[in-house]
Amino acid sequence: MSDPLIASTRSAASGLFAQSSRMRVVSENIANASTTGKTPGADPYQRKTISFQSVMDENAGADLVQVDKISHDETPFETQYMPGNAAADSNGMVKMPNVNMLVELADMREASRSYTANTQVIKQVRELVSMTIDLMRST
Amino acid sequence: MSLSIAMLSPEISRIGGAAPTAAPAITPPASAGSVPQASFADTLASMATDAISTIKAGETTATAGMKGQASLQQVVQAVMMAEQTLQTVVAVRDKVVGAYQEISRMQI
Repeated sequence: MSDPLIASTRSAASGLFAQSSRMRVVSENIANASTTGKTPGADPYQRKTISFQSVMDENAGADLVQVDKISHDETPFETQYMPGNAAADSNGMVKMPNVNMLVELADMREASRSYTANTQVIKQVRELVSMTIDLMRST
Repeated sequence: MSLSIAMLSPEISRIGGAAPTAAPAITPPASAGSVPQASFADTLASMATDAISTIKAGETTATAGMKGQASLQQVVQAVMMAEQTLQTVVAVRDKVVGAYQEISRMQI
C-alpha cells in the first residue's frame, strides 16, 4: 500500500493528462470547423469525440483516469450552397463539417475547469506533504 | 529524540514512493517474535536508496520531457516527487546531525 497523498497526486496528474487530451480534441474540432472535402461530393472534416475510462493503478493503489478512445461524431453533415468550392457537387452544394461552435466552446470551458480542479488537488496535496515534513524540522 | 525519528521513518519511506518492503515498525510487541524487526539503520538505508531512485527518476523524466518524449504533466509530477523526497531527506539529515551533535556534547 502506498501513501494516500502520493496516490492522490498520481490520480490528479492522470486527470491533468486526460483533460489536456480533451482540450486537444476540442482545438482540432475548432480549427477544422470549416474544413471541406477536396473532391466534389467528398465528406468534410468529421467532428471528433473523446471518452474516458477509469483504470486501477496497482502501483499507486488509486483509480486513475485514462483516455478510452477518440471516435467520430456520426451526426449528418449540413450542406451549404457554395458553387465555387472544390467540394461542390453538381448542384453547387458543399457538405460542411458537423462541428457546432457552441458545443465546442462549452466543452473547452469544461475541460479547462476540470484541469484547474486537478491542479488545485495537486497544490493542496503538496502543501499537506510539506506540512508533514515540517513536523520533523520544528521540533 | 531518536525515538521520534524511528516512529516517523516508516512513513517517510512511504513518502519517497517506496515499495512496501520498508520495516514493519508499527507491529505490536506481542507478535514481535514472528515478524523480524528491521533495525533503524536498515530503515534509514532503504529510505535513502528509495530517495535516490526517486530523484533519479525525476531527472530522467525531466530530460525526457525536454526531448519531447514525456508529457508536461509527467514531468511536473516526477519533479514534484523528487522535490518532496529531497525535502524529506534534508529534514532527516538535520535530525540525525542534531542527534549526533547532542551526543558529542554529552558530559562523560
